Amino acid sequence: MISKTPPQFRATAELERAYRAMLLPAVFAVGLFAIIPLAGMFALSFSDYHLIRGAKWEFDFDNFIRLFSDRRLANSVYVMSVLSFFGVLSQVLMGTAIAVGLSKIVGKWRAGRVLFLLPYAVPHVAVALIWLSLFTPTLSPINAFFDLFGVTVPSFLTTQNGALFAIIMADTWTNFPFTMLIMMAALQGISPDLDEAAALDGATRVKAFFYITLPLLVPALLMVTLFRFIDSLKHFPMIFVMTKGGPGRSSQATNYYAYIQTFQNSNVAYGAAIAVSLFIVAALISFYVARLNQRITST
Amino acid sequence: MIDNSTPFRVKKALGVSMMSLLLFFAALPTLWVLILSFREQSAMFEPIWESPLALTLDNVINLTRSDFPHALMNSFITAGCATALAMIVGVPAGFALAKSRLSGKFYASWMLLMLRMAPPVGFVIPLFLLYVSGGLIDTYFGLIAAYMTLTLPLIVWSMWNSFAQVPDELIEAAIMDGASLPKAFLLVALPAARPGAVAAAILGFLIVWNDFFYALIITRSSTATAPVAVMNFISYDSVDWGSIAVASIALTLPILPLMMIANRYIVQSLSGAVKG
Repeated sequence: MISKTPPQFRATAELERAYRAMLLPAVFAVGLFAIIPLAGMFALSFSDYHLIRGAKWEFDFDNFIRLFSDRRLANSVYVMSVLSFFGVLSQVLMGTAIAVGLSKIVGKWRAGRVLFLLPYAVPHVAVALIWLSLFTPTLSPINAFFDLFGVTVPSFLTTQNGALFAIIMADTWTNFPFTMLIMMAALQGISPDLDEAAALDGATRVKAFFYITLPLLVPALLMVTLFRFIDSLKHFPMIFVMTKGGPGRSSQATNYYAYIQTFQNSNVAYGAAIAVSLFIVAALISFYVARLNQRITST
Repeated sequence: MIDNSTPFRVKKALGVSMMSLLLFFAALPTLWVLILSFREQSAMFEPIWESPLALTLDNVINLTRSDFPHALMNSFITAGCATALAMIVGVPAGFALAKSRLSGKFYASWMLLMLRMAPPVGFVIPLFLLYVSGGLIDTYFGLIAAYMTLTLPLIVWSMWNSFAQVPDELIEAAIMDGASLPKAFLLVALPAARPGAVAAAILGFLIVWNDFFYALIITRSSTATAPVAVMNFISYDSVDWGSIAVASIALTLPILPLMMIANRYIVQSLSGAVKG
């Protein structure tokens, strides 16, 4: 029999089959390791499962209705927003400032940028412990230093704003190098001719920065902010180690609150409902990032 | 205001002092943890300038005698295995996604990103229940399987990016010459994307090494990884700051060289996407 399919096309179809075969193990693995737990999370969120009391396995929307009247959840969203907003803001500002500063440094001092990278290598639990020690008044060298002048530094971890401030400091310390790295690369991509042209036209350096350099940095800034923002929604080790969500409930971010409901209060079903809500936020943001990525790579 | 009339050296001094301040912020905690780790237990709560020479190796010795070295070993095993397994499955998948004409690639990229961004608590709740009923709590198998949810999306995503930068012509030429697709992949595409593959493996290893949450929920004493084991130095009535400081350093040192190799790639992958 003679096939009517042109040989060229037959080869492509064969090739596509081979590609699919290469993809298959990963599809299987993602299904097994990721999709099954996620399906479990969705199923649990509609259930009435309690770690100690067990479950009658009645599925309804009760957990999601409860979300709207839960003041602890509202508080956790507030905490999460404060941590995300100020954390990401300070990381982006600091990272960009250092990147711009380093771009002006020439010669042997350039090697100094390794010092700025170091905090990024420290695992988050260690970061949290180091900053816990710096915020422990009996131990901290900062407190000891100010004591020399008779100034008593307040105990940050015992007030709400202080505790949030402490977490933001630790978060900023370990994550500003990420922003810095990306902004350094973005700055290198900008032609120095532009600055020279601006100088010839009589622009001051400050003006040249704000009107020429900064607009060119916007795509990189957007990307970095998005990535940091998404990560900031997952705050856990720093809260767990530094404040345990306290004082009271004043530093319980939503991710941490879901953990408390599930593993301390045994409300597995309700914890899963909170996790589902967070997941939907992550899904929406990642849709936007995927679109952004598609637009960038297709041009 | 700073404008053209401000003398150059004033501006320079301003810039230098600003950078010094930022450097101080970046370096202080690192210096502090170094000091703490060599400080005598009895001098721990004295100001550093009152007993600057109260140095000792006791903290380091104490740490080696605790169960922390075992936990470090656990970290190596789980991070290594979860990365290796995800590489075996994920690298060919990244290649297929980058070079095939499959439809629905946008949805694949969305899903990969979503898995990376999803709150870990969502994965951990069902895994925990599953593991309790299946006897997988505190087993290497259970922990490594759980970490695949972190490493696999990351590795597929970054290999997709790396293979996208390998020219199509290279693979087409190999296939024209009669190579099968797996052969073209192994002998042509993979060597061309090797730096990306090394970086993907490093990033996968780091994400497991740094994890605290998964290990906190699904390990007990025998497979506890280092980030969880370090919490043992905090008890209700006292905190062993010396051991914590040494443990923090022990947690960082092994991954420092990996980090220095990977940071170049972090920039390339993200800024590559930014510049197009």
